[in-house]
Amino acid sequence: MNDDYLVATDLAKGFDGNLAVDGVSFTIRRKEILGLLGPNGAGKTTTIRMLSTVLRPDSGEVTIDGHPLSKEAGEIRKLIGVCPQELALYEELSARDNLVFFGRMAGMSGKDAKARADENLEMVGLSDRAKDAVSKFSGGMKRRVNLAISLMNRPALLFLDEPTVGIDPQSRNHIFDTVLSLRDAGMTVLYTTHYMEEADRLCDRVAIMDGGQLIALDTPAHLKESTGQATLEDVFLNLTGRSLRD
Amino acid sequence: MMLPVYVALLEVKRFLANRGELGFSIALPIVLFALMQGVGSGASFSGTAHVANLDGGGLGDELIAAVEAIDGVDVKLYSQAKLDAAIDRSAVLTGVVIPADFSERVETGEPVAIIFKQRGSGGDEGQIVAQIVEGVARGMFVEYEARALAADLLSGSGATSGEIAGAIAKLVGEVEAHDSAVSVSDGQGDESADEFADRILPGILVMFLMFAVTLSAQTIVEERSNGTLERLMMTRLGVWRLFWGKFLAGIARAMVQVVVLLGLAAVALGSFGLVALMQAMVFSIFMAAAVSGLGLLIASVARTRDQANWAAVFVTMFMVVFGGTFFPLGDSGLLSLIANFTVNHYAIDALQSILTDGGTLVTEGVGIGAMVVTAAVSLIVARLTFRVSGGA
Repeated sequence: MNDDYLVATDLAKGFDGNLAVDGVSFTIRRKEILGLLGPNGAGKTTTIRMLSTVLRPDSGEVTIDGHPLSKEAGEIRKLIGVCPQELALYEELSARDNLVFFGRMAGMSGKDAKARADENLEMVGLSDRAKDAVSKFSGGMKRRVNLAISLMNRPALLFLDEPTVGIDPQSRNHIFDTVLSLRDAGMTVLYTTHYMEEADRLCDRVAIMDGGQLIALDTPAHLKESTGQATLEDVFLNLTGRSLRD
Repeated sequence: MMLPVYVALLEVKRFLANRGELGFSIALPIVLFALMQGVGSGASFSGTAHVANLDGGGLGDELIAAVEAIDGVDVKLYSQAKLDAAIDRSAVLTGVVIPADFSERVETGEPVAIIFKQRGSGGDEGQIVAQIVEGVARGMFVEYEARALAADLLSGSGATSGEIAGAIAKLVGEVEAHDSAVSVSDGQGDESADEFADRILPGILVMFLMFAVTLSAQTIVEERSNGTLERLMMTRLGVWRLFWGKFLAGIARAMVQVVVLLGLAAVALGSFGLVALMQAMVFSIFMAAAVSGLGLLIASVARTRDQANWAAVFVTMFMVVFGGTFFPLGDSGLLSLIANFTVNHYAIDALQSILTDGGTLVTEGVGIGAMVVTAAVSLIVARLTFRVSGGA
């Protein structure tokens, strides 16, 4: 069995004549957590949107578990789960109703979707608030619901786009533990974040993007060693510079 | 596949979960229906006759009593000076002056003039009261003339004057027993109910159905802005099934108000049969489909919530005004030509026909066809122009 679960080759995407992603190639190994780091505007989210079938690449190809994205987007959607950076939730509805709905959208039966929703809410520590409207939740709780939805179809490959933005340390730690337990259970994860200590703690390897290009890809330890930096944040600043980004 | 149905059910669930929106959606047609029916049917007439009675005989009093006996008409008595003063300061717009020789002239069959004094046009109420007083006075005069004529004719018959008076009194009594000589009507009555059912009710129905344009336009733009649209596009749903789901949801939401309105109309007007109501309901589903399609088209073209809202408002206003929703536009001319390009035009015609003219869904095939074509074309163009993200 090929060890590479996702293979992206020379991916490119432009908007209004500007290349947001410019010839990016990388792989994600099975049961690996790959961190995708980069300053604002580096092309991380565009990359994830292409990998998750929302955006069609201008050029390049992606295969996931051997399925080419250009031809088998439907098959790929069955394999992936996406936890978007935005809180993509129906706030009027309960946490459970949100999960059940997206379970149905993933093709699950009503019974299975309800059972999976209960499991996932237990996993993210929200069983006791399952029937409450999401609009009453704190930011951290909403992030956990956001994550729980992305796990409804028990994806083999999970995309997490800045899943810990703006939440308290308790919720962050809960999300870390959940992600690690998912990896241990055999899930492959692509994780984007601006928090370097998070990437250092969670990721088996990290890829650093800047200006739409991939400028580094290795384990955190090797990156620190090869650049002579003490922390991953120093590595990041060393590679991407200290100038402010929009 | 059931996925579009789940999308529609989710929309309905969100609609029901939002208590404020739900309450407004149900209360609005009830309130508007009540207001429109109140305006359309009008209230019973009531007015006051402001009278200066200068008559020295008893017929002036009889005239006042006869006017006062009419439902909805009160009499307020004045001296002539006070009546003139009231008219001068516009406290009274129409005054009635019964002349001093009124009784004498009526009894002798001589022409007599009741004087109506007006401030400006005399006001609607004053004009109606003046006509009532004039009518009652004319009736009294004719009655006295008839008595005099009958007495002349019978004077040579050998009947005593008492017998003649008795016969005339009996004759007059029988005539009066038939019905009241004068009654006040606002001239609408059942006709107003027909007018309401014929024009206003279809207008209100169509207007509420038009709200589906805005609701459908907003739903996708809202999903786009809060990220759920992109999330949905990562599932097995796909764009066409998303559109079908939103389309069904738009119809379901619009029909909530249609059911409320038609239910109210059935109870309040009571002039429709169950078959007509059901057919109106079915036609409304076709119209809801057409406007829901238009809403989705706007949602696909619009890139922001504001764009979607303004486009939906423009389409709704254009259709309501140029579709002749509350007033007929005639059969020729530019307005009539423009009306042919609005769904309202066909919907109003069809609903009027079904509700008041015995039309059926079969006879209203043109209207149904217009709705189906509008829905189909809108959905196809919406699909072709749809983008998951606003600008990208």
